[in-house]
Order: sequence, then structure tokens, then C-alpha cells
Amino acid sequence: MVKRYTSMAYKNADDMIFGTAVHPVKAELGLEVGAGYVTAEVNYAPRPEAGVSKEKLVSEYRKLTTDIVARAVQIGFPAVSLETEHVEQMTNNPSWGGEIAHVQKTILEEYHEEYGIKCGLRHTPGDIREDRDLLALIGDKYDTLMESFEAVADGGADFLSIETMGGKEILDYAVLRNDVPGMIYAIGCLGGMDMEMIWTDIKKIADKKGRIAAGDTDCAQANTAMFIAGGLLDKNLAHTLAILARVLAGSRTLVGYEAGAQGPGKDCGYENTIIKSITGCPIAQEGKSATCAHADVMGNLTMQVCDLWSNESVEYHGEFGGTSVQCWSQTLNMDAALMNTAIQTGNAKVLRDMMALSDKYRDPQGYILAYDNAFKVGQAIVKDGNDLYLRAKNAVTETIKILEASKKEGKLIMSRFEQNALADAKASVDALTNEKDTFMSDSLAKYKAEVKVFRPETNYKW
Amino acid sequence: MDIDPTKILVRYNVQKEKAQTPDQMAAEMYPKDEPAKSIAKAIFEGEEDDVIEGLEKAIEKGANPIKLIDDVLMPGMKIVTDLYDQGVVFLPNVMMSADAMLEGIEFCKESAGSAPKPKGKVVCHVAEGDVHDIGKTIVAALLRSAGYEVVDLGRDVPVDEVIAAVKKESPMMLTGTALMTTTMYAFKEINDRLLEAGIKVPFQCGGGAVNQDFVSSYQLGIYGEEAADAPKMANAILAGKGLAQLKDMFHKH
Repeated sequence: MVKRYTSMAYKNADDMIFGTAVHPVKAELGLEVGAGYVTAEVNYAPRPEAGVSKEKLVSEYRKLTTDIVARAVQIGFPAVSLETEHVEQMTNNPSWGGEIAHVQKTILEEYHEEYGIKCGLRHTPGDIREDRDLLALIGDKYDTLMESFEAVADGGADFLSIETMGGKEILDYAVLRNDVPGMIYAIGCLGGMDMEMIWTDIKKIADKKGRIAAGDTDCAQANTAMFIAGGLLDKNLAHTLAILARVLAGSRTLVGYEAGAQGPGKDCGYENTIIKSITGCPIAQEGKSATCAHADVMGNLTMQVCDLWSNESVEYHGEFGGTSVQCWSQTLNMDAALMNTAIQTGNAKVLRDMMALSDKYRDPQGYILAYDNAFKVGQAIVKDGNDLYLRAKNAVTETIKILEASKKEGKLIMSRFEQNALADAKASVDALTNEKDTFMSDSLAKYKAEVKVFRPETNYKW
Repeated sequence: MDIDPTKILVRYNVQKEKAQTPDQMAAEMYPKDEPAKSIAKAIFEGEEDDVIEGLEKAIEKGANPIKLIDDVLMPGMKIVTDLYDQGVVFLPNVMMSADAMLEGIEFCKESAGSAPKPKGKVVCHVAEGDVHDIGKTIVAALLRSAGYEVVDLGRDVPVDEVIAAVKKESPMMLTGTALMTTTMYAFKEINDRLLEAGIKVPFQCGGGAVNQDFVSSYQLGIYGEEAADAPKMANAILAGKGLAQLKDMFHKH
């Protein structure tokens, strides 16, 4: 049984700050996350042609790992953390991921030994639990995935993470139809159920191997919504709906911590400010120094309470300033140095507020994820923390309330379209039952009829 | 601490929003006569039941179901896609309208016992090893909305299967989407295999990690930056544009 959160880790939103978490975690090579300083977390992807064989992949990761840590030493950074998000071959063949983790950790150990640089290594196996046309969350692929976690833990990965996909078959359908109850069902309910199953097992592996069950992110759903929503002029999804997907992810990603995850939460979890407010666990975030991977409308704001600062992902290749991982890791480390200077000089809250304010009114997404409002969403989630449905619904209701209230302040200017989408969302959520069982059975019947790839019996533990 | 946000950012989407609402703009585009007007409105609103009801009435009064597809359903959908192209309505509106229109087409086909001739055939797939298919779903829906027949091979499609489908279906266009850099490499292999077989079908490629530089590196590849480019590219092919002209049109960077 998991232990649900029904209270907040912080008394006030203002108590949250970058670099410090209520419950810091410690990696093997001296790195502590959330212990009073911010560290760069460098992410990367192998060149396409490197995926053809195990030898080429191992060689690719050996080179890029050396590049990153060598640049950190050259510029004089005290710490660096790496995240390896698996390409599918590395998870489907657990020994590949394990060997790469071992090669990377060995390089980090050598630099740690020689220079004393503090290092961390996160491995994020891919969620391979699907067949050609259908999700296959339970079964043989689940077993292979767990073997992959065991292998990377054996190889030396400090932090174990994943981006799970439970509920995605419904979200992909619902998000393209402005279906907010469907989003609640997909992310809050089905996503939460899958998270509970998988994170209970990841925690067992982490404990057995002496590693840290770090955390998940709703990349498959909330980031899909954010990506589809795009920039201000894109016409694919109202940004007021994209933020509803994100706050739902707050409820869903929390389940990992309820099953024993300790952080640092995954970088592309823009829901992590909500998570930190509830759990007090350290978080990774990405934003302005992740433009190598994607555009978002809140590049500074996401730094506000981060503990690791990430670039999301960059393909390994040459740039004028070195290899891509060297260039982006240097940018991240410089950002971290500025935040750490603010901490040392007593200006952390000033810098935090400047970063938050620079994006808070740019878009409804940033407005809600600003730490003061994210904290309120966290409170709404824990109010009914024991009920996956009600707490997800609460997150949506609170978000709508905050956005509606913003009109009086007049600083977040929403388009008519965004306001209409918000009003439609409010009407559909107001019409929802408060009974979890009723909502679950109604949704089950509706989506079994409408979504042909939905296989509830084989994919979820009811 | 607080700020005046107008000094540091501009919400261009609010500035550029049209004075008229989407409903008002659509209403100006509906056909004048019934039942076409009611059916077009039902498509715009994504109301499947109302579309069918309108079609039933029209058929009862003697309308030819196949002609209803060409003369009523397709023009009704075009109002929605035109407004989408103008930035007036959003993608979910298009998807819901497409659902309603496609249901209407199925109803007409069943009523007639035959099917209309599509504008052309397109084979869609997601790259081998890649299961991220929301982009392909959007591409397929937009193509169907524009009157094209879509052979949807699904996701994680082996190269052999793509080649076999192209040989069997002889499409006017092939599309491939991929989210990951490691999976998009399959596009090059598909290109090479098609050329070996002497097939020079335009191969539209797009998706999260796919970029114009990569797609430009193989002969049949044409970069599709947005899903909405797919029907535009199909229309351009119908209009007689060759590979070089398509690259000129769609390679914007």
C-alpha cells in the first residue's frame, strides 16, 4: 500500500527556494541534491546512426560523458549530474543499458577521484510497455523493464527514473477533443493507477541495490498537451487546457512519491513545483537552457525552485564551442553558478521572484506554475489526497478558479479563445460527480465505446 | 515584488485575435440552401447526430447520397479547415468536425451501397521503433477531412511493411512521422528501398525530432513542419508539382 499525501511539506509558498529541499538526497560521488545548492543536470541523445549496435552506443556514451565532465573541470564547476534517457534498444536489451551506466559511472568516478568534482548519474529507461498497436502495461514488457532498472542500478546509476505512459491511450483521444473529463480520467485516474504499480516495484529495486528511486514525469501526456499547445500563435490547443493537463500531472506524478520515490523529480516535469510543495523532495527542471530541445513559454520561471537544472536533451554533435553536450552543459552550469551566488549572498528569494515574474504573465501555463499559484494547486490536491479522482478534479477546479480570479488583477491577459475554452472546461467539470466509483464506471463505459485501442482489463490493476 | 508585464512581454495572440467570433465567421461561410446549411453547421459544431439527421432528411427527399458527400459534407468540412488555416479555430475543433463528417460519409456510403472516388490515396505510418502516434493521427484526420483516402499503417511500422504497402497501394504520397532521432533513421532506408524499386513517390516526413536538414538528405524526402502541411502537400501533388517544386514550397528554413 502506498502512503498518500494529505498535507503540504511547506507551510507557505514563500518558503520554497531553489537549491534547497525539505528532504535532500545524496548520490554516491559526493553530490547532494536539494542540500543548499543547484547543480546542472545534462541530458543528451546519441546520433541516429549510433543506434545500430551496442558497441556504437557504448562508444557514443563514453565520448559524450567524458566531454561533459571534462568541460565541467575546465571551467571550474564544483558539481555536475548526468541523465541518460534510454533509446529503446538500451531498455529492451537490459544489458546494454547496464553496460552504458557502468561506462558512464566509471568515467565520473575517475574525475571525482582526480579532481574531487561531485557527480551524479540518472538513468531513465524508456517505457517500452507497448505492442505494435496497443499499450501493454502489464506482462512480459513490464518484466523486461524491471530487468532494465536492475541492470542500470547494478551499473552504477544513482537516480532511477522513467516517464510512464499509463492513460495515454485515452489522453491522446481526449486532448484532441477538448474533453476535460477524459483528461482527468486519463492522467489523474489511469495514470495514477499505473504509477502506483510501477513505482512500488522501482522502489523495491532501488532499495535492494542501494540506489535512489528518483521520480517520474507526465511527459507522455502533459508534455504532449504543452507541445501541441505550442507558442502564442499556434492554433492546436488552448493554453488554458494545456495547463489543466499539467496540474492533473501534479496529482498523477505525486503517486510515485507516495510509492517511495525521493527525487530528484524528472526535468521535463513542469508539474514539479507542485510536487515539491507537497513532498518537499528535490526536483529537476528545464526551461531557458533547454531550447535545444523545445520551445516553451516559461523559460525563466521554471528555475524558481529547481534543485537540478537541465537542458532536456540535445543530440550529440559538433558546435563551434565544442560538442553540443559541452556547450549546453556549460550554459546550465553557469545558470547554476548564478543561482548559487544568489543563495550565498542572501538574494535567493529576490532572484526566484525575478525569474518567476519574468514569465508569470506570459501565458496561463506560467501563471499557474508560478510557485505561489502552484502551491495553491498542491493544497487542492492534498485536500482529498486519498482519492485519486477527487484530487485530480480538485486540481482542475482550483486552476480554473485561479485563472478566473486573475481577470480582476488584469495582468494575465487571456485571449477570447482561451477564456472560452476555460469556460467550457469549467462547465464540464462542474457537471462531474463527486463520487469516484460513479466517475470511473461512467468513464470506463464511455471510452471503451469510443477509443478502440483502450484495453482496461489487461493494462490496469483495478 | 511585482511588475507591469506590458513592459516585458506581448501577448500577440490577444492582439491579433479577430473581431468576429469563429461562429460568426463560419456562419458567413455556410451555404444558403437547406439541408446543406444545417449540415455544414452541424459539421462545424462537431455534432454527429445532427449531421446524420440532416443527411437522412435530404435522402428522404430524394438526394443522391454520394452527391451529398461531394456537394455537402466536403464543402462543410472545408469551412472548418479554411478557418483553421486562417488561425480562427483550433485543432480540436477540426478533429471533432472531422469525426462528424466522417460519420456522415459512412452513412452516405451505406445508404448508397457504394463509395465515392477519393481525391487520391496516401499511405501514413510511424517509423519503426517509434510508438508516438498522435502526430500521425492528426495528419491522417486532416487528410481524410480534405477528401483523401488514407491507408493508415499505424505505429512502429517495419520498413519492409512500408515498402510492401507502397507497392500494393500505389499512393500519390507517403507520410512518415517520428518523435525520436534514433527512429527517424528508418526514413532514409525507406527512401533507398523505394528508389531501388524505381518508385519515386513524395515522402513527407515530420515529427518531434525530425528536421528539414535530415529530411533534405534523401531524395524523396519533403519536410512537413506541421501536420496541416499534409493536405496542402497532397493538393500540390494533385496540381502537378514534382519533388523539386514540393521541396521549394515546403522547405521553409
